[in-house]
Amino acid sequence: MNATPRPPEHAQEERRKDPSAHITPVWHYLLVLATLLLLLLASALSALIRLGYWNTIINLGISCIKTLLVMLFFMHETEARRLTRTTSALGFVWLTVMIGLMLADFLSRAYVPPPW
Amino acid sequence: MNATTAELESLRERGLLEKQFDDPVQQREAATLGMWVFLSTEILFFGVLFASYTICRILYPHGFAAASRETDMLLGSNETAVLLVSSTLMAFGVRAIKLDQRTLAACLFAGTAALGVTFLTMHGFEYHKEYTEHLIPGLNFARGGPYARAIELFFCLYYFITGFHSLHVLVGVGVIGTLALRVARGSFGPERYTTLELAALYWHLVDIVWIFVYPLIYLVGRSG
Repeated sequence: MNATPRPPEHAQEERRKDPSAHITPVWHYLLVLATLLLLLLASALSALIRLGYWNTIINLGISCIKTLLVMLFFMHETEARRLTRTTSALGFVWLTVMIGLMLADFLSRAYVPPPW
Repeated sequence: MNATTAELESLRERGLLEKQFDDPVQQREAATLGMWVFLSTEILFFGVLFASYTICRILYPHGFAAASRETDMLLGSNETAVLLVSSTLMAFGVRAIKLDQRTLAACLFAGTAALGVTFLTMHGFEYHKEYTEHLIPGLNFARGGPYARAIELFFCLYYFITGFHSLHVLVGVGVIGTLALRVARGSFGPERYTTLELAALYWHLVDIVWIFVYPLIYLVGRSG
């Protein structure tokens, strides 16, 4: 068992640096936290101003920015491999497709009556 | 820094590198990838609830605005802040273990779990307040007027979404609390921290779900 000939020579040559071993500076995390809390304040305050449907758009936009910040810095997406990044985006992509198609059906019912 | 064959063999002997992986980098990336596949299913799990919410809100915009005004915006905002800070502590905890600062890491993970408990306690107060205000459908719901049915529907979704989210927070508190104890006992270090990173990914995702719950539950119709 111990004599397993690993790793192959080419793998040794091509071995990548460990992206996970990267140490993020403290001020990066503190800056991200401060931004997240400011965005929280911004969404709470903007909700108190009468902007019609823009209230929802602004608040969901702020939520998307917060999510990006958490994913990029706390979940280390900036240092992840492309395959990991793609996989992490997939859940959100399929969710967007599901809600998008559902809305396309639901909102078009008034304009495209069913044939029966 | 490239590891030599001798170093890799040493890692295997110490149980830090499973035999199916070429090196620790590949092992850690495989684990992260697997975790993200699991997290994608979690996104879709909450996605179904958000999809139901979207349809109901399009059907009853005024009812949902009236219902959202019944929720406690200040408590909801504080809960969001608590989760954001806890996510930051978690990120600092993983950073500390990479730097071999085990005591600091254990404290940071314990702090994260404590903030999780704080979040759940605040939610408990919120549920109790809604109970006293007769806002629990099927149990003691008492609202009249033209929007009564829509408000009932909103609160059904509210309990499903926040209830399942709180369940996730509870699981996270259990996992992170256990990991804090294991970190304190010296089970992790700069060579062995993948489990902590995966737990952190889970905790950050729970935070992301709440980032969307907050505006959809607490901030609707606040200006009207």
